[in-house]
Amino acid sequence: MIQKEKLLLIIKREYLTRLKSKVFIISTILAPVVMILLLVLPALVVTMSGDRVRQFYVFDETGAVGQELVAADSVRYRLTDTVPDSLRQALIRGEIEGFLVIPHELLDGEGRALFFHGGTVGMTVTSRIRSDVQRTVRDIRLDRLDTPAEVRQVLADRVQTEHLTISAEGEETAHSEFYMVLGFIMGFIIYGAMFGYGAVIMRSVMEEKTSRIVEVIASAVRPFELLMGKVAGVALLGLTQFTIWAVSGAMLLAVAGPLISFFYTPATPETVNAAESAAEVAAFSIPPIGPMIWIGFVLFFLLGFLIYSALFAAVGSAVDQESDSQQLQIPIIMLIIVPIMFLMPVSDDPASTLSIVLSMVPFFAPILMPVRMAVLQIPFWQFGLTILLMILTFVVLIWLSARIYRTGILMYGKKATFRELLKWMREK
Amino acid sequence: MIDSIVEFQGVTKQFGDYRAVDNVSFEVKVGRIFGLLGPNGAGKTTSIRMLTSILKPDSGAIKVFGITAGPMTQSRLGYLPEERGLYKKMKVGEQLVYLARLRGLTRDDARKRIRYWLERFGAYDWIGQEVGELSKGMQQKIQFVATIAHDPGCLIFDEPFSGLDPINSEVLKEVILELRDSGKTIFFATHRMEQVEQLCDDIALFNKGKLILNGDLGQIRASYGQNSIHLRFAGDSRFLSGLKNVRINNRSTNFAEIRLLDGADDQAILQEAQKNVRVLGFELVQPSIQEIFIDSVSREVSQ
Repeated sequence: MIQKEKLLLIIKREYLTRLKSKVFIISTILAPVVMILLLVLPALVVTMSGDRVRQFYVFDETGAVGQELVAADSVRYRLTDTVPDSLRQALIRGEIEGFLVIPHELLDGEGRALFFHGGTVGMTVTSRIRSDVQRTVRDIRLDRLDTPAEVRQVLADRVQTEHLTISAEGEETAHSEFYMVLGFIMGFIIYGAMFGYGAVIMRSVMEEKTSRIVEVIASAVRPFELLMGKVAGVALLGLTQFTIWAVSGAMLLAVAGPLISFFYTPATPETVNAAESAAEVAAFSIPPIGPMIWIGFVLFFLLGFLIYSALFAAVGSAVDQESDSQQLQIPIIMLIIVPIMFLMPVSDDPASTLSIVLSMVPFFAPILMPVRMAVLQIPFWQFGLTILLMILTFVVLIWLSARIYRTGILMYGKKATFRELLKWMREK
Repeated sequence: MIDSIVEFQGVTKQFGDYRAVDNVSFEVKVGRIFGLLGPNGAGKTTSIRMLTSILKPDSGAIKVFGITAGPMTQSRLGYLPEERGLYKKMKVGEQLVYLARLRGLTRDDARKRIRYWLERFGAYDWIGQEVGELSKGMQQKIQFVATIAHDPGCLIFDEPFSGLDPINSEVLKEVILELRDSGKTIFFATHRMEQVEQLCDDIALFNKGKLILNGDLGQIRASYGQNSIHLRFAGDSRFLSGLKNVRINNRSTNFAEIRLLDGADDQAILQEAQKNVRVLGFELVQPSIQEIFIDSVSREVSQ
């Protein structure tokens, strides 16, 4: 029998005092900013660092490849007659940044081109040079064989395979990497949220205990009501924050693509590639996110939060200071980390038995189920059963936690051990 | 009209192997100031926590206003715990309204009462401040208002004077007496026994979880008779240690409370004192609560 008015009062206080707090306002604003930065920054870094193109000398024994390379990109390549030994010395002295040696047998399909550099050249540049040499040598060899244009076209053509899912109702959905990334993002958001809000609950319990207000409250309401009110208040807060983020996130996705394309003006050949990837990023906003994914995300976030907050509350009530809580937190942290470790295998093969079983364990479901739901349509029985299991787990945990809480909030000055927590659970 | 506000019937509470409260029974009558006395660890706070339904007794029954203690009786009690505490980041007004509403007041009633009490304590100007910004003395006043704002019929104070300066202690005493005169029942616990003598109508003495003495303070003291001496003197106090069949309490450089045990003669002690020091005052009195407590404990032990 819960006293409803009191519970509502507690929920309201827990919700409103946090909603107005600086921490909430700052984290609500900051998180999307960080997300934007994470999305835009890599693209920006590529464009920025593309400013300076290194120039490499080409020592060409074929008399053809070097010319073609320079013709295609005179900024990057420069022909030279200086022998490789001298180029080597120049490189050691730091006068040049690198050089290419093209042996004459290369056009006969033998030998290999050599690229020397001072060790400061990154993967983008080496792969670029590799593909330039490959393309040039191929073209020259095709020229020499008088290859018809049709054959060249055949060689240049890329074959694409589209990846589609047919649901039981016969609906087709285009698959893309997008859904996997979406699953990952959702998994990580829930992971962060369970830690973040779990810590909020834990600290709030600890604060009430150290400020000793808890005895005044406990003389007016039952500890279970206080605990439930706290958990519900913080859950509402989490939903509020997620709603704010979802709205701003949707807006972000709508503007991210155009925004990034704006930064990539394909002025040099260097940035053509980047523009392509920008188009890819923009294409991320295209696939629709079905309502089931949203519903699943919110449900699993909520249930995950409830399960873990019950655990964190128990820890908070058992200690006086945050530093004492670490030992007791270890099992909880392990439970949250396990699904993160299985994120890869599960999203890679979401229909495997391992994936199904792991994603249905109530402690792992909050992270793994949304990941699976993003990638494939999971059977309803799995969805329903998992939700049911999670609700049961929450009910059992909050009951146990309330028993620890009831005793813990009145215990001061000593760090409780797991054994003591068990004892508190059994107490009448 | 219910005669007894609080009733403990054979109440026991055990923590592991430790019996914090051991088969305790007593009653608190309406309109009285009831003192729960005993040294630290006697079971006072545990008893209060059971009375306020924070803890459940292992056996026995506790009745408040004739109803078994539980969620229904909580709002009829006002409780000032020994360890004071409020939400530091919450404003005084909001916090008091919240606490009063948790005890069943409507928002309007809560505001009216809180306004009255804050004004009474000259604290109304702080209503918009966060509790953490106030001085310790101010916080004590706010906590006191939080205890009485919902107008409970029975007030429970655990060590109400601890941490109060002499001026605020006097104010608190006045308010406690005033509350009693307005028909409230006051239940308070302390280990500072001398503070209680001026306030309590009835007492219950606790030691190691057991109730060792209970009743009307005046009657208890009268039953001991005038078997104590208040001696004021000037000079070397060493002679006190040589007295036989006495127990000396509250000994200081110029005062001693001497309890006469079997066979001790007050006149012999006066003569002995005159031999050694200059006697400034010599009075036969009823024993202090502390003396009664010590006496009861030693009798308990010898039984």
